Amino acid sequence: MPVNENFVPKIQVFEPHRASLPPLGPYLKEFWTRRVFATELARFSDKAEYLDSRLGKVWLVLNPLLLGLIYYLVVEIIRPGGGLPGLTRLDHLLIGLFTFYFAQNCVTAGAQSITLGGRLILNQAFPRALLPLSCAIQAFQQFLWTIPVYIFVLIGGKLAYPTTEVPGWTWNFLWIPFIVICTGLTGFGLALIFATLNVYFRDTNKLLTYITRIWMYLSPVLWLPSSLRGHMKILLWVNPLGPVLNATSRVWVSGVSLNKSTIVGCIFWALASILMGGYYFISRERDFAIRI
Amino acid sequence: MPEDLAIRIEDLSISYKVSLEAKRTLKNAVMRASLKQKERTRTIEAVKHLTLDVPHGSVLGIVGSNGAGKSTLMRCVAGILSPTEGRVTVNGKISTLLALGVGFNPALSGRDNIILGGLASGLNMDEISNKTDEIAEFAALPDGFIDLPVRTYSSGMYGRLSFAVAVSMTPDILLLDEALSAGDAAFKEKSFERMRQLCAEARTIVIVSHALATVTDLCDSAIWMHKGQMLSKGKPEAIVDEYLKFLNVGSLPSSYEDM
Ligand SMILES: Nc1ncnc2c1ncn2[C@@H]1O[C@H](COP(=O)(O)OP(=O)(O)OP(=O)(O)O)[C@@H](O)[C@H]1O
Ligand SMILES: [Mg+2]
Repeated sequence: MPVNENFVPKIQVFEPHRASLPPLGPYLKEFWTRRVFATELARFSDKAEYLDSRLGKVWLVLNPLLLGLIYYLVVEIIRPGGGLPGLTRLDHLLIGLFTFYFAQNCVTAGAQSITLGGRLILNQAFPRALLPLSCAIQAFQQFLWTIPVYIFVLIGGKLAYPTTEVPGWTWNFLWIPFIVICTGLTGFGLALIFATLNVYFRDTNKLLTYITRIWMYLSPVLWLPSSLRGHMKILLWVNPLGPVLNATSRVWVSGVSLNKSTIVGCIFWALASILMGGYYFISRERDFAIRI
Repeated sequence: MPEDLAIRIEDLSISYKVSLEAKRTLKNAVMRASLKQKERTRTIEAVKHLTLDVPHGSVLGIVGSNGAGKSTLMRCVAGILSPTEGRVTVNGKISTLLALGVGFNPALSGRDNIILGGLASGLNMDEISNKTDEIAEFAALPDGFIDLPVRTYSSGMYGRLSFAVAVSMTPDILLLDEALSAGDAAFKEKSFERMRQLCAEARTIVIVSHALATVTDLCDSAIWMHKGQMLSKGKPEAIVDEYLKFLNVGSLPSSYEDM
C-alpha cells in the first residue's frame, strides 16, 4: 500500500500504566512544542472573560487596589501603635498582596483547569500540564497589570511625603525578575498538585478557598517579616511563599539586596513545588480522561 | 510493527472504574477512612480482548449498538485513554473528531476557536494562520457567522466547523466518531468528497457511525462491536447486513452465542 508523500513515520505505543511516570523525554518535548497553545489559551480566556464587560480590564486593576486599601485600613486600625511610617507599610502591603495574589491565582485557577477542561481533555491528546500552565500565564499577566498601580501609589506617596524612607530607583530592583519567576514556579507547581487532587476529590476547590485565606494570614503580607520574634521566624521558611514574600518586601519596599538564605529559600520552594507537583500530576494525568 | 500498518491493536482491554458514591469528595473519603470502609466501585469492561490491524490508506467502519465500546476504542487509539491490558501501536499523525466536538470555547468566535483547536492538536501558529481561511471556507457557515461567538451556532454549524478543523490537519490517521450526523445533505456530500480525497492520498480513516449508509458508502472494511467484543470483521455490506439482522431479531445469531 503506497503511503502518502508527506508521510512522516511517527510511532506511538499505548500500553497499560501503573501510577508511574511516562517517558519524560517525549513528554517534555511534546510539552515544549505545544507551549504556544498554553499562551494562546491564556490570551483567549482573557478575551472571553472580558469580552462582555468593557470595564473588565479596569476591574483587573481596581480590584487588587481596593482590596489593598481595605486591608490597609484594617491593619491600621488594629495596629498597636508605633512601628514603621504609614507609606512604607502601605507599600509593603500592596506589593505583598499583589505577589501573593499572583501565586494564589495560579493555584486556584490551575486547580480547576482539569475538571473544567471537559471536552478538550476527552477529545484531544496533549500534555495536560498545559492547562494549569495557561492559568499560570494568565495569572502572570494579571500580576503585570497591578505593577503600574503599585508604581503610581509609590510615586504619589513620595510626592506627598518627601521625607519617606521608601527608596527611589536602586540597582537592587534587578532582583525583581528572580522573585517573580520563583513565585510563578512555586504557584504553578502547587497548582499541579491541587489540579490532580481536584480530579480525585471534587471538594478540593472548596477546601482551597479556606487554605488560601489561612495561607495569606500566615504569610508576610499583612505583617512585616521583621515583626516575627524567636521561633515564630520559622513561618518564613515552612511556607512555600515565605521566602519570596520576604524577598519581595526586602527588594521592593526596602530597596536592599537579598541575603543568601532568602535566595536559597526562594529557589528551594520553586524547585520543590515544581518537582513534587510535576511528579504527582504527570504520573496521574493518563487517568484524568476516565475520571472527569 | 509492519510498515504498511497504520494502527495495530493487540489483545486490547479497557475498563472504567466507576465509583458508586454520589460524589467523590475528600469529605467522603475521610468519613470512609474513619469508619474503615472501602470505596464502593464497579468495573465496567468497555472493550474486551480486541485484536485488529488497520493498514495505511484503508477506511474502517465500526458499527454496534449504544454502549458497545466504540467511542472508548477510538479514545484509546487517539491516546486519550490508556489501555487496561494489551497494546495499541499507531504510526502517523492523528487527528480526532470525537463525539463531543473539539474543546470549543462558546464565548469565542469561530475563527478564534479554529486557532485554539489547531494549537491543541499540535499545529504551529504559521500553519494555522495559513489554514484559517481555508477552514472557514470549507465549513461554509452562513454569512459572517465565522466571526460570531460559537454559542450562537446551530448544532449543524458547530458540526461543520469541527469537521472542517479535523480534516484540515492533513492527518495520516483520521478518527471520526459520529462526526457527520449533524450536517445537512449538502455538507455530507462535501465531507464524503473530502474523505475520499484523503483516502486517495493513502491516509487512514476510522469511522464510527450509526448511519449505516455512511459505512457502506465510504468504508472498505468494517467491524461489528457488541458489549466490548468484536463479533465480526469483513466487507462493510456483509457486516451491516449482519448487524441489521441482529437489530431486527434482537438476539445474537447462534454462531456467536458461545462468545
Ligand atoms: N467516562 C466513563 N466512565 C465510566 N463508564 C463509561 C465512561 N464512558 C463510557 N463508559 C461505559 O463504557 C461502555 C462503552 O461506552 P462507549 O461510549 O464506548 O460506547 P459507544 O459504543 O460509543 O456507544 P454509543 O453508540 O452510544 O456512542 C458503556 O457501558 C459506558 O457505560
Ligand atoms: Mg459513542
